[in-house]
Amino acid sequence: MAAFGSFAILLGLVLCAYNLVTGAIALRQIAVHPEASAAPERLAESARRAGIGSFVAMTAAAFALVYCAFTNDFSVSYVLHHSNRALPWPYKFAALWSGQEGSLLLWAWLLAAYGFVLRVRHKVDVKLTAYASTILAGIQVFFTLLLVFPAPPFALVQGAVPADGFGLNPLLQYPEMVIHPPMLYLGYVGFSVPFAFALGALMMRYPGEKWIHITRRWTMVTWLFLTCGIFLGAHWAYSVLGWGGYWGWDPVENASLMPWLTGTAFLHSVMMQEKRGMMKAWNVWLIFTTFMLSILGTLLTRSGLVSSVHAFAESSIGSWFWAFLIIVLSVCLFTYLLQRDHLQSEHKIESLVSRESSFLFNNLVLLAACFTILWGTLFPIISEYVEGSKVTVGPPFYNRVAVPIGIFLLFLTGIGPVLAWRSTSFKSVRRNFVWPTIAGVVTAIVLMAAGMRPWRDVGTLYSLMAFSLAALVTTAIGSEFWRGARVIQRHTGKNMLFSVMQLTRRNTRRYGGYLVHIGVVIVFIGLAGSAFNQSKEQEMGFHDSMTLGPYRLVCQSYTQDSNANYDSEYELLNVYKNNKFLLQMAPERRFYHASQQTETMVADHSTLQRDLYVVYEGRNPESNQPIIKVFINPLVAWIWIGVLVMAFGTLLALVPNLSAEQVARSRKPTEENLAFAAGVSH
Amino acid sequence: MTIVACAVLVIGIFVYIFYPQRNTEVQTQKTRLEFLRERKDSIYENLRDLNFEYRAGKYPEEDYVAQRAGLENEAAQIVAEIEFLESGFHAA
Repeated sequence: MAAFGSFAILLGLVLCAYNLVTGAIALRQIAVHPEASAAPERLAESARRAGIGSFVAMTAAAFALVYCAFTNDFSVSYVLHHSNRALPWPYKFAALWSGQEGSLLLWAWLLAAYGFVLRVRHKVDVKLTAYASTILAGIQVFFTLLLVFPAPPFALVQGAVPADGFGLNPLLQYPEMVIHPPMLYLGYVGFSVPFAFALGALMMRYPGEKWIHITRRWTMVTWLFLTCGIFLGAHWAYSVLGWGGYWGWDPVENASLMPWLTGTAFLHSVMMQEKRGMMKAWNVWLIFTTFMLSILGTLLTRSGLVSSVHAFAESSIGSWFWAFLIIVLSVCLFTYLLQRDHLQSEHKIESLVSRESSFLFNNLVLLAACFTILWGTLFPIISEYVEGSKVTVGPPFYNRVAVPIGIFLLFLTGIGPVLAWRSTSFKSVRRNFVWPTIAGVVTAIVLMAAGMRPWRDVGTLYSLMAFSLAALVTTAIGSEFWRGARVIQRHTGKNMLFSVMQLTRRNTRRYGGYLVHIGVVIVFIGLAGSAFNQSKEQEMGFHDSMTLGPYRLVCQSYTQDSNANYDSEYELLNVYKNNKFLLQMAPERRFYHASQQTETMVADHSTLQRDLYVVYEGRNPESNQPIIKVFINPLVAWIWIGVLVMAFGTLLALVPNLSAEQVARSRKPTEENLAFAAGVSH
Repeated sequence: MTIVACAVLVIGIFVYIFYPQRNTEVQTQKTRLEFLRERKDSIYENLRDLNFEYRAGKYPEEDYVAQRAGLENEAAQIVAEIEFLESGFHAA
């Protein structure tokens, strides 16, 4: 099977290269001689089919690697180093992306899969898709070359084949790890598609904004995957690493956040291009940057340039990525300089108080956040180059900059939707902002009356601002739904719930987007809770107790266990809240035989109000008693709920709008409505 | 077995790529007229949104009138160019 896998990768490389070369030749011939014979068209068609064939070849290669893992074929070096006989089957499947070679194969396969969908749906715009397909083939060639030369996943073990493998990194033996990397990669890889369309549209001087319409769903789906991937990673870190937090500004976390920030900026600013033909050059560079940041993120985490708790592979493939990045940047720059006159804006920003300027601020803030994170992430490399010693930038640096930026973004989340396009008068501002402002101020007063003291420390101040702005934004967005639904209600005579649903279905993109904003608000509420975290650590032998906040934990027993995959130590703790029995928790620590590594299994009792998070830290070597660390983390559950709302909002935005006929059918048959329906259907 | 699997994969893919296609999709160049029609649709959509938001009570009368006039002017220019190009095509 290893030989078959290697062959499939080679075949994939040949097919991608054929797609790239013949696709480029055909496009050149069609561009130079548009009235020429059908030969270039046939050449372009064979290139497209080769691209589809590359997906089949890469699927065969990915299947071969999974097959080797499932059949314990330890003659394959990758399987030997990332699996073992006792490994449960879902993790054998996850072995595909647990190491360097496997994760690059996953990259290449996902890229081929995205390319497959793009090439099959080529009739949306045959010429533009041909350009995008050829550019995508170029990216595929790079990743397949990596699999052929520096990182072959089917390399064989030299000498005698061991009877068992070295096992999977224990940190990866967690259910979320089976879905987190594919989600993240679907996000990273997915940005290749809007990138290819944007570059293709620029190369062919595509008239109009239809390419944005074509790539809108691609971008939103990609953004959704990346969002889910990032938060699954945060949840995994929270559940497995046992330090009580979910985001540590680790280089790998930063690497995933940077393309998310620029991708979010792109999703907002393309609306200006679609609606008003503005910001064309800006948008093109935003998506170029997003794609390059995806590649840079992979470079940072895969090359060993920076160290991270999330980086499970290190090697010398960095030079390949640098070369690819330089090629991509050169192609983008060259194409832009050649075609920049095609990117003239049709309008200018007319007023500072308008929807356009709120999008621009949103973009600038997101880019400032991205630049800060990039600077902090690259600082160890830059300092080593300049001063000869690696200086690492820690969470205080990021928090000092990112928290105020995040709060300003939260503010923009609320005001953007209620501002008008072109310009907003003072009267309009007053009309739309009175209630949200009142909600924000009342929230701040209530919280201070309840005991929040923002003048004591900056963390509390930021939390108070976040809670107040959350109220402001929720009221602003709620009023958007309320006002729109009232119009529907007047026309249909149906109840408010029906009207809200009808309103949403009439413009899923806008109201789905508002739901995403609500999700962001909920996430911020969760993040704001971190200002009030508490923790305590102590030795806890039989019947010892610990009190933290409203909880009292009493040790019932501590013991050891063993199975084929790992040995474990755990402690049973009875938890009382306000002196009433609440539940029993069992924090655990495992020692994996194959990899000779330990892993923490956190016990977490999560409620909307707070998480009780208990970690088994090990045993005191002198007393042989377990050491238990307990955290109280307020509002953490809101973060995960917020992400679910964001995902739901994005999915809703992907649903097509109701047609004019469907809208007309739901109306009351009054004269005014019949006239209005006629107006809509025209 | 491996050789057979490799051969099946190669032959299958090569037949798919080079099998003669009767109706190849033609790569037509998008015209200015098509672009203008897209712009017109986009402006009409903006107008519908504006009307809806005005009915929802989001904008005062004077803002609505000014914005509507701006969009209608834009639409009028585009419709005029579409008519001009269409009449040119018909004449040709």
